[in-house]
Amino acid sequence: MADLVIPQTILDDMVAHARELDPYECCGLLAGTNGAVTHIYRIKNIVASEGAEKLSSFDPAKAAHLERLSPAERAEIAFVMDMQDFSTAKKNIRNKGLDLQVVYHSHPHDPARPSITDIKIATDYEEIWPKINLPIPAYLILSLMDKSKPDIRCYWIKGGTVSTAHITTSN
Amino acid sequence: MIKVRIPTPLRPLTKGQGEVDAQATSITEMIDTLNTAHPGIKDRLCDDTGELRRFVNIYVNEEDIRFLKGKETSLKDGDEVSIVPAIAGGSSCQA
Repeated sequence: MADLVIPQTILDDMVAHARELDPYECCGLLAGTNGAVTHIYRIKNIVASEGAEKLSSFDPAKAAHLERLSPAERAEIAFVMDMQDFSTAKKNIRNKGLDLQVVYHSHPHDPARPSITDIKIATDYEEIWPKINLPIPAYLILSLMDKSKPDIRCYWIKGGTVSTAHITTSN
Repeated sequence: MIKVRIPTPLRPLTKGQGEVDAQATSITEMIDTLNTAHPGIKDRLCDDTGELRRFVNIYVNEEDIRFLKGKETSLKDGDEVSIVPAIAGGSSCQA
């Protein structure tokens, strides 16, 4: 049985988002009810909007949550959600009576698998979701390694362990 | 008393505590109080002009202060404040 049902139009929108931001990563949220996704929220990636030069010089004081990462892991940070956008989306999701289902981002040059950094940050976030009244989402990664054939995969990341979340596409 | 939830990355500043108490009537006052008890925490939350960094959200009872009165949002006894870092990730360093 599928963990998530995602309409083709929303998958198409995510692919379009990823292509628009390529070579930068895109990121966003999917919301719906009981695993059935109905809405997509594109979230601004601060790394993409502020330029790649900021990537290697992340001021630890600015990005406090990245401090726990090693310099190598920090250097590969490729998306940081604009939290104002995030909160706007969160409010809209709540007003519509929906739940957060998925956090998505793209990997323009790498496979659709979570990186060590992805896993570490998702694990740190595990205890935050319930505190802001959101369920622990699945993590969807969209790879553009093969530009003509985007690869979309979804995962649960719990306790540092990654498992596959099964997606079904609906029309 | 206000209960403030501290995210994992900031816990080195709070001696490992995930929750600290603060006596404050606004977010501004809460940040100053926290900074007195845990020096350095204000820099992590606010930029040079004193504005909340885009890498951070502060929620009062689950509402983002950006939708309330920002740092002037008032606090009352029993309020719960969560400091939430931005969701982030990377693409290489495959696990």
